[in-house]
Amino acid sequence: MSEKKQTKPASKEAPLYGLLAEYEKPKQLLAAAKKVRDAGFEQWDTYTPFPVHGIDPAMGIKPTILPWLVLGAGLTGATTALVLQWWTNAHDYAWIVSGKPFWSLPANIPVTFELTVLFSAITTLVGMLMLNKLPHPSSPLDFSERFARVTDDRFFVVIEARDPKFDEGDTKALLESTGAVAVEAVPEDTKTEGRMPSVLVYAIVILTCAAIVPFALSAYAREAKNRSPRIHIVPDMDNQQKFKSQRENDFFADNRAMREPVAGTVARGLLRTDEHLYEGKAGGTWARTFPPAIKADAATMQRGRTAFGINCVPCHGPTGQGNGLVNKRATELAEGTWVPPTNVTQPHLAKQPVGQLYGSIKNGIRNMPGYGHQMSSEDIWATVMYLRALQRGQNATLEDVPAAQRAGMK
Amino acid sequence: MATKKSKKSDDAPDSERPVKKSSDKKKTSDSKKSTGDKPTKAAGGGGKSGQPKTPIVDDGPEEELRLGPLGNKVMTIAGGIGVVGTGAAVGLGAMEGQWAHFFHSYLVAFFWVLTIGLGALWFVTLQHLTRSEWSPVVRRIAEVLGANIPLLAVMALVVVGPLLMGNHDLYKWADPAEVKHSLLLQKKSPYLNTTFFAARFVFYFGVWFIFSRLFLKRSVEQDSTGKPELTNNLWAVSAPGMILFALTVTFCSIDFVMSLAPEWFSTMFGVYVFAGCVVSFYSTMGLIVLWLQKNGRLSKSITVHHRHDIGKMMFAFVVFWAYIAFSQFMLIWYADIPEETVWFKPRLGEWLPVSAALLFLHFVVPFLGLLSKHVKRHRFGLGFWAVWLLVIHYVDLYWLIMPNFSPGKVPFSLMDICAWVGLAGLFLASSARTAMNLNLRPTRDPRLDKSLAFENI
Ligand code: HEC
Repeated sequence: MSEKKQTKPASKEAPLYGLLAEYEKPKQLLAAAKKVRDAGFEQWDTYTPFPVHGIDPAMGIKPTILPWLVLGAGLTGATTALVLQWWTNAHDYAWIVSGKPFWSLPANIPVTFELTVLFSAITTLVGMLMLNKLPHPSSPLDFSERFARVTDDRFFVVIEARDPKFDEGDTKALLESTGAVAVEAVPEDTKTEGRMPSVLVYAIVILTCAAIVPFALSAYAREAKNRSPRIHIVPDMDNQQKFKSQRENDFFADNRAMREPVAGTVARGLLRTDEHLYEGKAGGTWARTFPPAIKADAATMQRGRTAFGINCVPCHGPTGQGNGLVNKRATELAEGTWVPPTNVTQPHLAKQPVGQLYGSIKNGIRNMPGYGHQMSSEDIWATVMYLRALQRGQNATLEDVPAAQRAGMK
Repeated sequence: MATKKSKKSDDAPDSERPVKKSSDKKKTSDSKKSTGDKPTKAAGGGGKSGQPKTPIVDDGPEEELRLGPLGNKVMTIAGGIGVVGTGAAVGLGAMEGQWAHFFHSYLVAFFWVLTIGLGALWFVTLQHLTRSEWSPVVRRIAEVLGANIPLLAVMALVVVGPLLMGNHDLYKWADPAEVKHSLLLQKKSPYLNTTFFAARFVFYFGVWFIFSRLFLKRSVEQDSTGKPELTNNLWAVSAPGMILFALTVTFCSIDFVMSLAPEWFSTMFGVYVFAGCVVSFYSTMGLIVLWLQKNGRLSKSITVHHRHDIGKMMFAFVVFWAYIAFSQFMLIWYADIPEETVWFKPRLGEWLPVSAALLFLHFVVPFLGLLSKHVKRHRFGLGFWAVWLLVIHYVDLYWLIMPNFSPGKVPFSLMDICAWVGLAGLFLASSARTAMNLNLRPTRDPRLDKSLAFENI
């Protein structure tokens, strides 16, 4: 581009950046844009004070691919959110929240929604900037007096000298033929230096350092030990104004926070007259059979397995041998008062009446707390059924295997 | 913005807008095609009936502005279907001998037309409130749909009338025997009692009547006087109008639909019904626009840009509906409190297929279908999804109302269809009747030129 002859004013040595044509009306600009487009230029652009409808086709700009990028980002966001929640909550460290299943889709939707929107929004913004090659802090056009009116009431076409079709004389003639009020040669920017202003450099360095601080602090916090109480960032969430059980409360005449049910009422589902189903007893002694309401089928067994997984595995371990995580941790810490959970597959427990197992789970036994307040009777019975299966599984002989499969086991 | 304004006042060339001045010379092929109908000419003024007295002064392009004989056709066909359908529904109800089924079925159909009408009223209010520039060319359609309030009030009488006469097939809170056994219903009875219910009914429909009437009347008046004050006046009216609309729609859906399960409540219910109003209204408007243009009406002033916007709103409110529906479901599901979950119990039991259908056909599928701008800008694409959404909106209301009557099974029957088609026919006929003597779009709205020149890409 530098071999082009310099004809026009101002900076005599500066190479030519391009030709600037000014128009008074958007219509003229549109017409001019079509001509420049048809002449086959590539390194050129139009500048307007406001969005001009129809400029895209007039300039021959292809429809943007941004929507596809955003669609891709949205789908990525949704997938990321689902996999993240599945991985952390249902797979890597399966954890029950609010009594919902480990992998519980409805609970995952809000995060999925948010990440979909977040990924799409960020991609829209960043994609728009990148596709437009923004930010573009400085341009040789900034030094043209004439060009200043682009923010007010004038419309411009600029053809850059680096375009292969560019020829100062011909291009100028072309622009003049489009009805431009003025055509001006714009020299390359020789006034500003090629470097970034030092203010910007400092700002970027400082911001980068500041951005590291939170990570550094959390890395430090992972290693450091601290005995002072935690900082309450949201105090009213940490210390809520609510009445806890077994506390005093002078609002009520009897000064108790816990209320009794209204006299003569029974809460939904709490009318428990069936002794077999709710107490595990028949005629005052431990029942030896399951209550009629509990069906011996695969569904009940599955329910028992789930309930066992939720309530019992932490202590008794997945197969009931007493080697759950809680036990391992307590043993590791050598907790003096720890009573190891019983191996529930022992023969003496296998002989216990089902009603007694029910009772142990519901009411607790010796050092084990009762589960009646957090498990429904049906869940407890299902757990008992699953216990029976575990017991049988642990004490099984070859005779318990279906004949057809015995051969392969020896 | 400042630059934009100065540009407008300094040197905005009028010729940039596709206005009448430039198109006076040639007749459009659109209008030629429909000469069989001998419609009223916009510029010529005066139809067969001699309407209107003042010649139309139109600031828009020359095109068919009036329904003309087409209106009569719609009135006869839709009205006929309406009378036959509604009659058949009543007949089938009588044959069944059990009116409870009929009343529920009727309520679904009634809410289907009511939501469209209310959506239209909301749209008009919103356009005035935001001083919208894109919409004046389609606003009249909404004004006409919204003006069906008197018909809708008469339709509501089928629900309110029997209630006042002591029938409690729909609302068990109206049954003294039920109330006697339920402490909750006794506590709620200061609100849920027939007298107050009827009073509220009068209030809701009164408010809607006043506003819909006002919007239509002033807008039509402007066609002949061209006074810009009318627009400003409606702008002022629309603000309190919007507040009243929000309240009346919320309480109306609580009264008519939520109180079918009087022991249950959801604070999101009103918004849920509102979401349905908007989805069904935009779909209806989209269809009407397509139908009018196919018949050579408004073929120039409504462009692909306006249709694109209608499509966008359909898409947006499909998402909004899903957002609200899921929010309502998730809070109840998560808290898992019997008093709240009881409402979802039948819907996730025997009605599970319907619930699943709603999830996919009211959200997932139309979401994907309407995502692309090419679909929204395509006549068939827009029409297809509009019909789709109107059908699924019926399913949505069915799902809202019917499980209260029949928790154990989906009682879909011919009667449902008859009631639906019947009320829809009456609604359409009444809309055509209102539209008969009017221009199909405002002709001298101060923002008409902006609307005509509207482009969205
Ligand atoms: C907090 C840990 C913990 C959890 C959780 C727990 N247990 Fe136990 N369990 C124990 C301990 C400890 C013992 C032994 C108590 C003792 O001997 O003092 C025990 C004993 C038992 C016994 C033997 C009772 C007997 O008659 O000797 C059975 C059966 C049993 N648990 C079943 C269950 C079932 C079923 C669950 C799940 C609902 C469960 N446990 C959950 C800690 C736990």
